[in-house]
Amino acid sequence: MAESEKTTMKVNIVAADHPVWHGEASSVTIPASEGGMGILPDHEPVLTVIKQGTLTVVEPDGNRHMFEVTDGFISFDSNKLTVAVERGRDVQYSSTED
Amino acid sequence: MGSQLALKSRIHSTESLEKIFNAQEMIASSHIAKARDVALNAKPYTDAIFDAVQALVAHTHITHPIAVKDEDNPRVAVLALTSDRGMAGPYTSSIIRETESLLARLEADGKQPELFVYGRRGSTYYKYRNRDVAATWEGDTDQPGVEIAETISNTLMDAYMKPAEKGGVSELYIVFTEFINMVVQKVRVLRMLPVEIVGNEAKVPDPEDEKASEDIPPLYAFEPSLDEVLDAILPKYIQSRIHECLLTAAASETASRQNAMHTATDNARNLVDDLTRKLNASRQASITQELTEIIGSADALNTKEE
Repeated sequence: MAESEKTTMKVNIVAADHPVWHGEASSVTIPASEGGMGILPDHEPVLTVIKQGTLTVVEPDGNRHMFEVTDGFISFDSNKLTVAVERGRDVQYSSTED
Repeated sequence: MGSQLALKSRIHSTESLEKIFNAQEMIASSHIAKARDVALNAKPYTDAIFDAVQALVAHTHITHPIAVKDEDNPRVAVLALTSDRGMAGPYTSSIIRETESLLARLEADGKQPELFVYGRRGSTYYKYRNRDVAATWEGDTDQPGVEIAETISNTLMDAYMKPAEKGGVSELYIVFTEFINMVVQKVRVLRMLPVEIVGNEAKVPDPEDEKASEDIPPLYAFEPSLDEVLDAILPKYIQSRIHECLLTAAASETASRQNAMHTATDNARNLVDDLTRKLNASRQASITQELTEIIGSADALNTKEE
């Protein structure tokens, strides 16, 4: 609200046999191997192993998008988050109007 | 002249074969579209893993066993990717030929190759010849899923990570068919393990090219630690490479089957044409003969009356 220009990052979620989702997001929470980890735009470059759990993407308009993922990893660099998992699926989508 | 009945039945059976070949060809061409979709769907994942491995290579000197194995172990693994079903022209036989020559080459180098076979045609070939095969997988060669890639890579990784005295192997080769285009497929041998991680060619220091320094990937933070990230990603890299091989082999198999069936359909058509010509000639010959007989006998009757 304070910022007139909302920063976003590109997110690309891929499973071993199909792409799951891609788009812009204002924040992402991932089930990292050592506990949950939040990623905001312009995070430092990071490569992390993730475990089974729920990954939440908050889109710029405030909608939340949840994905169920199994083990894999994420890499973040130049404001682009890549999530590569063995299996992933879309579980829940809740918009702010709810 | 052969009997007309025999010719007719040959024409009939060749025609029904032609129908089968034609159907097989159409099935194969419909599978190609599917195989292409599967390959395209798997590509983003393969790319993501490849990028991550590149990033790892860029600023660490990897000493992980997957990349460097320095023990002196003569045992090596060879995985041959064949098909489950026949009717694919020379697909399986060229894989087997290449595998045999690779095995001979390895043995000449003083190594002990262990054979792993994927595909029913290949495994029955070796079973029939009483050859030792370490493991075989069957099913789904024309549409390999992630599961089969996972099973294969787990088995091979287990064999690779085992120490030499427990029957481990020190190298892994894959013999598969590369899909170049619909008409050209090439058998290739790939050394999968230890991983030869090809860094970007741009990494070669080039003092004049200042752009190269900008292309160096950013410094990553690895969590929880570099070793754990390597442990997690390298096996996935192997699995996705194997899956990639399976997919391109499946596409080649389908294309090869389509080509073989196309040729078979053409052959059947030519055969039907030939046989029809023979049938016509033989029918004509019998008609001529009948006419000659009638005319001959009429002539004989006429001469008697006179």
